[in-house]
Amino acid sequence: MGMKGRVLAVFAGVIVIAAVAVTAAFGAHKADPGVTSSSILIGGTFPLTGVASLYKTIPGAEAAYFAYVNDHGGVNGRKITFDIKDDAYDPSKTVPLTQQLVEQDKVFAVFGSLGTAPNLATWSYLNQKKVPQVLIATGDSYWGFSAKKYPWTIGWQPDYPGEGKIYGKYIAANQPNAKIGVLYQNDAYGKNYYAGLRVGLGAKKSQIVSAQSYDVTQTSLAQQILALKAAGADTFVIFATPSPTITALVTATKVGWAPTATYVNNVSANRVFMQLAASNGASLNGVVSTSYLVSPTYAPQANTVGVKLAKAIIGQYAPALLPSLNGGDANVVYGLGAAWTMVYALQHAGKTPTRAGLMKALKTLNVKDPFTYPGIKVQTSAKDNFPIEQEIMIKWTGNGAAGDWAPFGKLYSGVR
Amino acid sequence: MKRFSVAHPLLVIGALVIALLPFQMSGYHTGLGAHVAIFFIAILGLNILTGYTGQISIGHGAFMAIGGYTTAVMSHYHHTNLILTLPLAFAIAFCFGVLVGIPALRFSGVYLALATFALAVSVPQFTLKFSSFLGGSNGLQTSTTKSNAWIYGVSWSCAAILYLVAWLVLRGRTGRAFRAIRDSEVAAAASGVTLPIYKTLAFGISAAFAGVAGSLFVIATNGFAQPNEFAVFLSLTLLIGAAVAGLGSLWGILVGAVFVALLPTVSADVPLIGSSHGQDVVFGLIVIVIMLLLPTGFAGLLYRLRSLPGIRTPVEKEAGG
Repeated sequence: MGMKGRVLAVFAGVIVIAAVAVTAAFGAHKADPGVTSSSILIGGTFPLTGVASLYKTIPGAEAAYFAYVNDHGGVNGRKITFDIKDDAYDPSKTVPLTQQLVEQDKVFAVFGSLGTAPNLATWSYLNQKKVPQVLIATGDSYWGFSAKKYPWTIGWQPDYPGEGKIYGKYIAANQPNAKIGVLYQNDAYGKNYYAGLRVGLGAKKSQIVSAQSYDVTQTSLAQQILALKAAGADTFVIFATPSPTITALVTATKVGWAPTATYVNNVSANRVFMQLAASNGASLNGVVSTSYLVSPTYAPQANTVGVKLAKAIIGQYAPALLPSLNGGDANVVYGLGAAWTMVYALQHAGKTPTRAGLMKALKTLNVKDPFTYPGIKVQTSAKDNFPIEQEIMIKWTGNGAAGDWAPFGKLYSGVR
Repeated sequence: MKRFSVAHPLLVIGALVIALLPFQMSGYHTGLGAHVAIFFIAILGLNILTGYTGQISIGHGAFMAIGGYTTAVMSHYHHTNLILTLPLAFAIAFCFGVLVGIPALRFSGVYLALATFALAVSVPQFTLKFSSFLGGSNGLQTSTTKSNAWIYGVSWSCAAILYLVAWLVLRGRTGRAFRAIRDSEVAAAASGVTLPIYKTLAFGISAAFAGVAGSLFVIATNGFAQPNEFAVFLSLTLLIGAAVAGLGSLWGILVGAVFVALLPTVSADVPLIGSSHGQDVVFGLIVIVIMLLLPTGFAGLLYRLRSLPGIRTPVEKEAGG
C-alpha cells in the first residue's frame, strides 16, 4: 500500500469508529417513542360519533385536564399532547386507529381508550408491541385479572363484578331478611354482575327468590318483572345497560310492584337516565346505586377540592362541557379523575419517562385522586391490578325527575 | 371486465405494485392496503348482483357478518386454520345468499332494497341473541392472530382468485343470462333464461364473495368479531363503493375499493365543523360530487376515455354496457 492508500485506510477506520461511537451513544440514551425533551405524546380511541357518543364528554374532560397541567409546568417540564381518535365504538375501526397511534404517530402510551370490545380487539396487539394500554374506560374485569398475560394493560374504574359484590355485602348487612329478585342481562355484562352479587351475599344468596334474565334485543321486560313480583321479592336488583334499566323501572311501577329497595348498577345510574325513567312514570322511591366520584350537584361536596377544581378547569379549558358538569353528568368528572391518575403516573415514570417506568408507577399506586369520592384511594400492587375498588352507596332523593343522587353510609370495597 | 388488450401491461404493473408495496410500508399502512383488498372483494360481489342482474342490495354487510362469524366461530372453538375458514365462509355465505335470493324473487327495486336493508339491521342482532355462543357484545376472538403483512398477502391473493372466478362466471352463458335479466326480465324469460335460477344464483355468488370479505375483515380486526363491526353503515359503504366503481371494470372496482377503504382514514384529520364530524362531512361531500360528475362511476369514465380518438378501443363494449 502506498502513502495515499495508508491515508485512506486510516481515514476509513476513523469514520467507522466514529460511526460506531455515535450509534452506541444514541443507543444508550434512546428514549421511548413519544417522549421528547419538551413533550409527551399519548393517544386513545373514543366513540365521538355513533351509538356510544354520549361518552364523548370523557375525552373532552381529559383534554381539559391535560391543558390545565400543561399551563402549570406540565409533567416535569414536558407538555402532554393528547391525540383523540374517533372509532365510533366499532372494533374494526379501533384496530387500524390504534395501529396508527403506535406505528405512525408513535405515541408513548395508549390512554383511556373506551369500551370493552374496542379494548379486547387491541390488547393482544398492544401487549405484543409492549405499548402501555392504561387507565382504559371500561368496567369489565378482564384487565384486572390479566396482569400476567397482558402486563401492559390496566383499567381504572371499579369493575362490574366488584360492584355486584358491594350490593351483595350491603344487602346482607342492611337488609338481612330481604327477599331478593334479580333482573340481569343475558350476556357477559349481566352475568358478571350477578356472579358478583352472589359472592357478596355469601350465605344470604339463598335469599334470592328469583333471578330473571333477558336478552338485550328484547323490548319488553313485563314477563320477567311479573315473575319477580309473583315470587314475592321485596328487593329488586337490576343489572342492565341504561335502556333496559329505564324500561325495568317503568314496568315495575306500572305493574304495581313496589319493592322496598331497588338497586341499579352504576353504568345506568346517570342522572339523565333516572330523569328519563321518572318522566315515563317510574317511581324512584328507594332506588339505590353506587358511585366513586365527587358530585358537583351534591351541595355538601361543593367545597371539596375535587368539585372546586372540576368547576375551575372545565370552566376555563372546556366551557362547552360546563352545562353537563353542572347538570350531573358523571362522565365529565370521570374524565378529570382518569386524567389526574395518568398525570400522577407520568410524573413518577422516571426523569425521562419510559414505558416500563409508567407501568411500574401504575402498578404501585397508593394515592388520593381528588376527583374520586372523599376517602377512596387509588391503589394497586403486584397482587392487585384494580386501581379503584371502593364505592359509596347513593340513594335517589327528592321528588321523581326533580331529584338527584345523595351519597350515604360508609364506603364499601369490592376487594379481591 | 373481459378483455384487456390495452390494459394487459397495466395489469402486470398493477399486480407488481400491489405485491411490492408492503415492503415499503409500515404495518399500519399495510393493514390499510389489506382493507382495500377486502372491500375490492365485497364490491366485486355486489357488482355481480347489482350491476349484472339489476337486483339492489343494501344488505351485503349481513353476508360479510355471516362470513366473518364463520371464521371467528371455527377458529375460536375448533382452532381451525384461518385459511381453511375462507372457503367455508364462501360456502356458508353462498347458502345464505340463495336462501335470501329465493324470497327476493318476489321483490324488485325499492322493495328489494328495503328487504335487504332489514337483513342488514337484523343479522348482527343474532350475535346478541345467542351471546354465549357468538360472544355477544364482548365479541368473539379467533385462536390465532396474524401480522398485517400476512393479512395483506392473503387478502390480495383472494382478491385475485375471486376476480378470476367472477371473470369465468361472467364470460360464459351465466354472464350473458345475468346481463339479459338486467336489461329486460321479460325478454330474458322469452329467450329461455330461467329467471328464478339465475337470479338466485346471482344472490348466492354475490353473498359468497361478501362472506369471504367478511372473514378477511374479522382477521384484519385482530381476529375479533363483534356486532358493531357489521352495522348498517357497512352495507351502505359497500353500495357507495359499487356506485363509485361503476360497472364492468376491474380498475373501477379497484378505485371504488380504495375510495371506501381509505377516504374515511384520510379525511379523519380534517377538522371541519368540529373535529369529530369533519370526516363524515368530507366523505359525504365527495360522494355527492362523484355521483354528480360520474354517474356511471369510474368504469364509465374509463369507457369514455377509451372512446376518445387516438386511443385504441379494445373489444370491450359488451362488458361496459
